[in-house]
Amino acid sequence: MRDSVPIISIRDCLLVSIQAELGDALAREVQDALMTRASEEGCKGVVLDISSVQLIDTYITRVLSDIGRSVRFMGAACVVVGMRPAVAMTLVEMGMDMSGVDTALSLESALERLELLR
Amino acid sequence: MNTTVEAKLAQILQGAVSPITLESVLARLGAVARRRPEELGEREREAMLGVLRVSLRLFARGGEGDLIALCEKALRGGAVDKVPTLGGAPTPEIGGLRRIEIANEADITTARFEAWAEAARIGVPKFSAVKVATAVSELARNIFFYAGSGVVEIQPRRERGKVSLRVVARDNGPGIAPEKLRAIEAGTYRSERGMGRGLMAVKKLVDSFDLDTAPGRGTTVSCEFRVVA
Repeated sequence: MRDSVPIISIRDCLLVSIQAELGDALAREVQDALMTRASEEGCKGVVLDISSVQLIDTYITRVLSDIGRSVRFMGAACVVVGMRPAVAMTLVEMGMDMSGVDTALSLESALERLELLR
Repeated sequence: MNTTVEAKLAQILQGAVSPITLESVLARLGAVARRRPEELGEREREAMLGVLRVSLRLFARGGEGDLIALCEKALRGGAVDKVPTLGGAPTPEIGGLRRIEIANEADITTARFEAWAEAARIGVPKFSAVKVATAVSELARNIFFYAGSGVVEIQPRRERGKVSLRVVARDNGPGIAPEKLRAIEAGTYRSERGMGRGLMAVKKLVDSFDLDTAPGRGTTVSCEFRVVA
Protein backbone atom coordinates (compact mmCIF):
# COMPACT_ATOMS: atom_id res chain seq x y z
CA MET A 1 0.00 0.00 0.00
CA ARG A 2 1.34 3.39 -0.90
CA ASP A 3 1.65 6.12 1.67
CA SER A 4 -0.65 8.29 -0.44
CA VAL A 5 -3.64 6.12 0.47
CA PRO A 6 -3.95 5.85 4.21
CA ILE A 7 -6.97 3.96 5.49
CA ILE A 8 -8.37 5.47 8.65
CA SER A 9 -10.50 3.40 10.95
CA ILE A 10 -13.12 5.41 12.78
CA ARG A 11 -16.04 4.02 14.77
CA ASP A 12 -16.62 0.85 12.77
CA CYS A 13 -16.04 2.66 9.47
CA LEU A 14 -13.08 2.79 7.15
CA LEU A 15 -12.21 6.12 5.60
CA VAL A 16 -10.00 6.35 2.53
CA SER A 17 -8.99 9.65 1.08
CA ILE A 18 -7.39 9.33 -2.33
CA GLN A 19 -4.90 12.17 -2.59
CA ALA A 20 -2.99 11.04 -5.64
CA GLU A 21 -4.00 10.79 -9.26
CA LEU A 22 -6.15 7.66 -9.45
CA GLY A 23 -4.29 5.48 -11.91
CA ASP A 24 -5.15 1.87 -12.64
CA ALA A 25 -2.56 0.42 -10.28
CA LEU A 26 -3.55 2.72 -7.43
CA ALA A 27 -7.25 1.92 -7.91
CA ARG A 28 -6.52 -1.79 -7.59
CA GLU A 29 -4.29 -1.17 -4.55
CA VAL A 30 -7.10 0.72 -2.87
CA GLN A 31 -9.48 -2.12 -3.67
CA ASP A 32 -7.15 -4.80 -2.27
CA ALA A 33 -6.22 -2.86 0.85
CA LEU A 34 -9.84 -1.98 1.60
CA MET A 35 -11.07 -5.53 1.19
CA THR A 36 -8.37 -6.81 3.52
CA ARG A 37 -9.04 -4.20 6.20
CA ALA A 38 -12.81 -4.57 5.89
CA SER A 39 -12.65 -8.32 6.44
CA GLU A 40 -10.12 -8.04 9.28
CA GLU A 41 -11.98 -5.37 11.16
CA GLY A 42 -15.54 -6.24 10.26
CA CYS A 43 -16.50 -2.62 9.58
CA LYS A 44 -20.02 -1.26 9.11
CA GLY A 45 -19.19 1.10 6.31
CA VAL A 46 -16.55 2.34 3.91
CA VAL A 47 -16.18 5.97 2.87
CA LEU A 48 -14.13 6.71 -0.22
CA ASP A 49 -13.17 10.36 -0.56
CA ILE A 50 -12.40 11.15 -4.21
CA SER A 51 -12.52 14.93 -3.97
CA SER A 52 -8.89 15.20 -5.11
CA VAL A 53 -9.40 12.95 -8.11
CA GLN A 54 -9.40 15.00 -11.30
CA LEU A 55 -10.32 12.31 -13.76
CA ILE A 56 -12.36 9.11 -13.71
CA ASP A 57 -12.80 7.02 -16.83
CA THR A 58 -14.78 3.83 -17.51
CA TYR A 59 -12.14 1.54 -16.03
CA ILE A 60 -11.86 3.48 -12.78
CA THR A 61 -15.67 3.67 -12.61
CA ARG A 62 -15.72 -0.10 -12.89
CA VAL A 63 -13.17 -0.47 -10.09
CA LEU A 64 -15.14 1.90 -7.82
CA SER A 65 -18.36 -0.01 -8.54
CA ASP A 66 -16.57 -3.29 -7.82
CA ILE A 67 -15.32 -1.95 -4.49
CA GLY A 68 -18.86 -0.87 -3.61
CA ARG A 69 -20.37 -4.19 -4.55
CA SER A 70 -17.73 -6.25 -2.73
CA VAL A 71 -18.10 -4.13 0.40
CA ARG A 72 -21.84 -4.69 0.22
CA PHE A 73 -21.35 -8.44 -0.15
CA MET A 74 -19.35 -8.30 3.06
CA GLY A 75 -22.31 -6.76 4.82
CA ALA A 76 -21.15 -3.15 4.95
CA ALA A 77 -22.18 0.02 3.15
CA CYS A 78 -19.95 1.97 0.77
CA VAL A 79 -20.23 5.67 0.09
CA VAL A 80 -18.16 7.52 -2.50
CA VAL A 81 -17.87 11.14 -1.55
CA GLY A 82 -16.79 14.43 -3.10
CA MET A 83 -16.84 13.68 -6.81
CA ARG A 84 -15.79 16.82 -8.66
CA PRO A 85 -18.50 18.45 -10.81
CA ALA A 86 -16.45 18.12 -14.00
CA VAL A 87 -15.85 14.44 -13.33
CA ALA A 88 -19.55 13.85 -12.66
CA MET A 89 -20.57 15.68 -15.84
CA THR A 90 -18.09 13.70 -17.90
CA LEU A 91 -19.35 10.37 -16.53
CA VAL A 92 -22.94 11.34 -17.26
CA GLU A 93 -22.04 12.38 -20.77
CA MET A 94 -20.30 9.05 -21.32
CA GLY A 95 -23.47 7.27 -20.21
CA MET A 96 -21.87 5.70 -17.15
CA ASP A 97 -23.57 4.92 -13.88
CA MET A 98 -22.11 4.07 -10.50
CA SER A 99 -24.42 1.24 -9.58
CA GLY A 100 -23.05 -0.58 -6.59
CA VAL A 101 -21.90 2.51 -4.76
CA ASP A 102 -23.78 5.13 -2.88
CA THR A 103 -22.58 8.69 -3.45
CA ALA A 104 -22.61 11.72 -1.19
CA LEU A 105 -21.69 15.34 -1.76
CA SER A 106 -19.57 15.74 1.34
CA LEU A 107 -17.77 13.64 3.88
CA GLU A 108 -20.11 14.99 6.48
CA SER A 109 -23.25 13.74 4.75
CA ALA A 110 -21.55 10.42 4.02
CA LEU A 111 -20.75 9.91 7.69
CA GLU A 112 -24.25 11.01 8.61
CA ARG A 113 -25.62 8.45 6.25
CA LEU A 114 -23.49 5.80 7.88
CA GLU A 115 -24.93 6.95 11.20
CA LEU A 116 -21.51 7.91 12.42
CA LEU A 117 -22.48 11.38 13.59
CA ARG A 118 -25.00 10.29 16.17
CA MET B 1 -22.06 15.09 20.24
CA ASN B 2 -19.81 16.10 23.12
CA THR B 3 -16.94 18.48 22.51
CA THR B 4 -14.08 16.05 23.08
CA VAL B 5 -15.45 13.67 20.48
CA GLU B 6 -16.14 16.56 18.12
CA ALA B 7 -12.58 17.87 18.45
CA LYS B 8 -11.12 14.41 17.94
CA LEU B 9 -13.33 13.81 14.91
CA ALA B 10 -12.41 17.18 13.41
CA GLN B 11 -8.75 16.37 13.90
CA ILE B 12 -9.09 13.04 12.13
CA LEU B 13 -11.14 14.49 9.31
CA GLN B 14 -8.73 17.36 8.74
CA GLY B 15 -6.01 14.83 8.12
CA ALA B 16 -8.19 12.85 5.77
CA VAL B 17 -9.88 15.31 3.44
CA SER B 18 -8.28 17.42 0.79
CA PRO B 19 -7.79 21.15 1.40
CA ILE B 20 -10.88 23.23 0.81
CA THR B 21 -10.42 26.27 -1.40
CA LEU B 22 -12.79 29.01 -2.43
CA GLU B 23 -12.81 27.55 -5.90
CA SER B 24 -13.76 24.07 -4.74
CA VAL B 25 -16.48 25.45 -2.47
CA LEU B 26 -18.01 27.60 -5.21
CA ALA B 27 -17.84 24.79 -7.74
CA ARG B 28 -19.66 22.50 -5.33
CA LEU B 29 -22.24 25.13 -4.48
CA GLY B 30 -22.82 25.82 -8.15
CA ALA B 31 -23.32 22.12 -8.75
CA VAL B 32 -25.85 21.84 -5.93
CA ALA B 33 -27.79 24.94 -6.91
CA ARG B 34 -27.39 24.22 -10.64
CA ARG B 35 -26.95 27.96 -11.06
CA ARG B 36 -24.24 30.59 -11.06
CA PRO B 37 -23.70 32.17 -7.64
CA GLU B 38 -25.01 35.57 -8.79
CA GLU B 39 -28.34 34.02 -9.80
CA LEU B 40 -29.10 32.77 -6.30
CA GLY B 41 -31.87 34.31 -4.23
CA GLU B 42 -31.18 35.90 -0.83
CA ARG B 43 -32.74 32.95 0.99
CA GLU B 44 -30.74 30.32 -0.89
CA ARG B 45 -27.56 32.28 -0.26
CA GLU B 46 -28.23 32.41 3.47
CA ALA B 47 -29.06 28.71 3.61
CA MET B 48 -25.88 27.82 1.74
CA LEU B 49 -23.73 30.04 3.91
CA GLY B 50 -25.26 28.40 6.99
CA VAL B 51 -24.30 24.96 5.73
CA LEU B 52 -20.88 26.27 4.71
CA ARG B 53 -20.14 27.67 8.16
CA VAL B 54 -20.86 24.34 9.80
CA SER B 55 -18.85 22.25 7.37
CA LEU B 56 -15.95 24.67 7.10
CA ARG B 57 -15.55 24.82 10.85
CA LEU B 58 -15.24 21.05 10.82
CA PHE B 59 -13.08 20.62 7.74
CA ALA B 60 -11.00 23.67 6.91
CA ARG B 61 -7.44 23.68 8.13
CA GLY B 62 -7.56 27.05 9.84
CA GLY B 63 -8.42 30.31 8.12
CA GLU B 64 -12.03 29.22 7.70
CA GLY B 65 -13.15 32.70 8.76
CA ASP B 66 -11.47 34.24 5.72
CA LEU B 67 -12.86 31.53 3.48
CA ILE B 68 -16.41 32.08 4.72
CA ALA B 69 -16.05 35.83 4.20
CA LEU B 70 -14.73 35.30 0.67
CA CYS B 71 -17.54 32.86 -0.13
CA GLU B 72 -20.09 35.26 1.26
CA LYS B 73 -18.74 38.03 -0.94
CA ALA B 74 -18.60 35.79 -4.00
CA LEU B 75 -22.12 34.53 -3.43
CA ARG B 76 -23.38 38.09 -3.21
CA GLY B 77 -21.86 38.72 -6.60
CA GLY B 78 -19.07 40.91 -5.31
CA ALA B 79 -15.68 40.91 -6.96
CA VAL B 80 -13.26 38.48 -5.34
CA ASP B 81 -9.71 38.12 -6.59
CA LYS B 82 -9.69 34.37 -6.63
CA VAL B 83 -13.17 33.62 -8.05
CA PRO B 84 -12.86 30.96 -10.75
CA THR B 85 -13.62 32.23 -14.21
CA LEU B 86 -15.83 30.28 -16.58
CA GLY B 87 -13.98 29.89 -19.83
CA GLY B 88 -12.46 33.21 -20.65
CA ALA B 89 -9.73 31.69 -22.79
CA PRO B 90 -6.82 33.63 -24.22
CA THR B 91 -6.26 33.64 -27.96
CA PRO B 92 -5.04 30.14 -28.72
CA GLU B 93 -1.72 29.66 -30.40
CA ILE B 94 -1.51 26.60 -32.52
CA GLY B 95 1.47 24.53 -31.54
CA GLY B 96 3.15 21.30 -32.45
CA LEU B 97 2.09 17.72 -32.22
CA ARG B 98 2.30 15.86 -28.92
CA ARG B 99 3.09 12.21 -29.43
CA ILE B 100 2.82 9.70 -26.59
CA GLU B 101 4.04 6.14 -27.02
CA ILE B 102 1.82 3.69 -25.16
CA ALA B 103 3.60 0.55 -23.98
CA ASN B 104 2.74 0.19 -20.30
CA GLU B 105 0.17 1.24 -17.75
CA ALA B 106 2.08 4.33 -16.66
CA ASP B 107 1.90 5.64 -20.25
CA ILE B 108 -1.88 5.87 -19.88
CA THR B 109 -1.35 8.41 -17.11
CA THR B 110 1.23 10.25 -19.21
CA ALA B 111 -1.23 10.47 -22.11
CA ARG B 112 -3.88 11.92 -19.80
CA PHE B 113 -1.53 14.57 -18.49
CA GLU B 114 -0.33 15.52 -21.96
CA ALA B 115 -3.95 15.86 -23.10
CA TRP B 116 -4.75 17.94 -20.06
CA ALA B 117 -1.73 20.16 -20.55
CA GLU B 118 -2.44 20.72 -24.25
CA ALA B 119 -6.13 21.45 -23.58
CA ALA B 120 -5.15 23.98 -20.93
CA ARG B 121 -2.52 25.52 -23.18
CA ILE B 122 -4.90 26.27 -26.02
CA GLY B 123 -7.58 27.61 -23.68
CA VAL B 124 -10.07 24.75 -23.40
CA PRO B 125 -12.35 25.57 -20.43
CA LYS B 126 -11.67 23.45 -17.35
CA PHE B 127 -14.80 21.30 -17.57
CA SER B 128 -14.13 20.44 -21.20
CA ALA B 129 -10.48 19.74 -20.45
CA VAL B 130 -11.62 16.95 -18.13
CA LYS B 131 -13.57 15.45 -21.04
CA VAL B 132 -10.57 15.66 -23.36
CA ALA B 133 -8.29 14.01 -20.80
CA THR B 134 -10.89 11.32 -20.02
CA ALA B 135 -11.32 10.46 -23.70
CA VAL B 136 -7.55 10.24 -24.17
CA SER B 137 -7.34 8.04 -21.08
CA GLU B 138 -9.89 5.63 -22.60
CA LEU B 139 -8.10 5.50 -25.93
CA ALA B 140 -4.68 4.98 -24.35
CA ARG B 141 -6.07 2.25 -22.14
CA ASN B 142 -7.67 0.47 -25.09
CA ILE B 143 -4.29 0.45 -26.83
CA PHE B 144 -2.55 -0.99 -23.78
CA PHE B 145 -5.25 -3.57 -23.01
CA TYR B 146 -6.01 -4.85 -26.49
CA ALA B 147 -2.96 -4.14 -28.61
CA GLY B 148 -0.16 -3.99 -26.05
CA SER B 149 1.41 -0.95 -27.62
CA GLY B 150 0.65 1.96 -29.90
CA VAL B 151 0.70 5.72 -30.05
CA VAL B 152 -1.56 8.63 -29.12
CA GLU B 153 -1.14 11.92 -30.96
CA ILE B 154 -2.61 15.20 -29.83
CA GLN B 155 -2.66 18.04 -32.32
CA PRO B 156 -4.19 21.49 -31.91
CA ARG B 157 -5.65 22.84 -35.17
CA ARG B 158 -7.13 26.02 -36.50
CA GLU B 159 -9.42 25.86 -39.51
CA ARG B 160 -11.39 28.82 -40.79
CA GLY B 161 -10.83 30.55 -37.47
CA LYS B 162 -12.18 27.60 -35.50
CA VAL B 163 -9.84 25.98 -33.01
CA SER B 164 -9.99 22.29 -32.27
CA LEU B 165 -7.96 19.54 -30.69
CA ARG B 166 -7.41 16.46 -32.78
CA VAL B 167 -6.61 13.17 -31.06
CA VAL B 168 -5.47 10.11 -32.97
CA ALA B 169 -4.91 6.76 -31.25
CA ARG B 170 -3.19 4.19 -33.42
CA ASP B 171 -2.06 0.62 -32.85
CA ASN B 172 -1.00 -2.41 -34.84
CA GLY B 173 -2.87 -4.81 -32.60
CA PRO B 174 -5.34 -7.52 -33.54
CA GLY B 175 -8.00 -5.05 -34.69
CA ILE B 176 -11.70 -5.43 -33.97
CA ALA B 177 -13.69 -8.14 -35.76
CA PRO B 178 -16.90 -6.94 -37.47
CA GLU B 179 -19.25 -8.91 -35.20
CA LYS B 180 -17.47 -7.60 -32.09
CA LEU B 181 -17.62 -4.07 -33.47
CA ARG B 182 -21.38 -4.42 -33.96
CA ALA B 183 -21.74 -5.50 -30.31
CA ILE B 184 -19.59 -2.57 -29.17
CA GLU B 185 -21.67 -0.12 -31.17
CA ALA B 186 -24.90 -1.63 -29.85
CA GLY B 187 -23.56 -1.31 -26.29
CA THR B 188 -23.95 -5.03 -25.64
CA TYR B 189 -20.24 -5.90 -25.63
CA ARG B 190 -18.64 -6.62 -22.24
CA SER B 191 -14.94 -7.19 -21.98
CA GLU B 192 -13.45 -9.19 -19.15
CA ARG B 193 -11.17 -6.35 -18.05
CA GLY B 194 -13.12 -3.16 -18.38
CA MET B 195 -16.71 -2.54 -19.18
CA GLY B 196 -16.45 -2.79 -22.94
CA ARG B 197 -17.87 0.68 -23.15
CA GLY B 198 -14.78 2.80 -23.43
CA LEU B 199 -14.94 3.32 -27.17
CA MET B 200 -18.59 4.36 -27.22
CA ALA B 201 -17.97 6.55 -24.18
CA VAL B 202 -15.27 8.37 -26.15
CA LYS B 203 -17.66 8.80 -29.08
CA LYS B 204 -20.14 10.54 -26.78
CA LEU B 205 -17.49 12.93 -25.47
CA VAL B 206 -16.08 14.13 -28.78
CA ASP B 207 -17.40 16.32 -31.59
CA SER B 208 -16.26 14.06 -34.39
CA PHE B 209 -15.28 10.41 -34.27
CA ASP B 210 -13.82 8.03 -36.80
CA LEU B 211 -12.89 4.40 -36.29
CA ASP B 212 -10.74 2.46 -38.71
CA THR B 213 -10.23 -1.15 -37.77
CA ALA B 214 -10.11 -4.64 -39.21
CA PRO B 215 -8.70 -7.95 -38.00
CA GLY B 216 -4.96 -8.01 -38.60
CA ARG B 217 -4.80 -4.36 -39.58
CA GLY B 218 -4.80 -2.72 -36.17
CA THR B 219 -7.05 0.03 -34.96
CA THR B 220 -7.00 3.79 -35.50
CA VAL B 221 -9.39 6.09 -33.70
CA SER B 222 -9.42 9.71 -34.86
CA CYS B 223 -11.49 12.24 -33.01
CA GLU B 224 -11.82 15.96 -32.60
CA PHE B 225 -12.86 18.34 -29.86
CA ARG B 226 -14.07 21.77 -30.87
CA VAL B 227 -12.73 24.45 -28.60
CA VAL B 228 -15.39 26.91 -27.60
CA ALA B 229 -13.58 29.79 -26.04
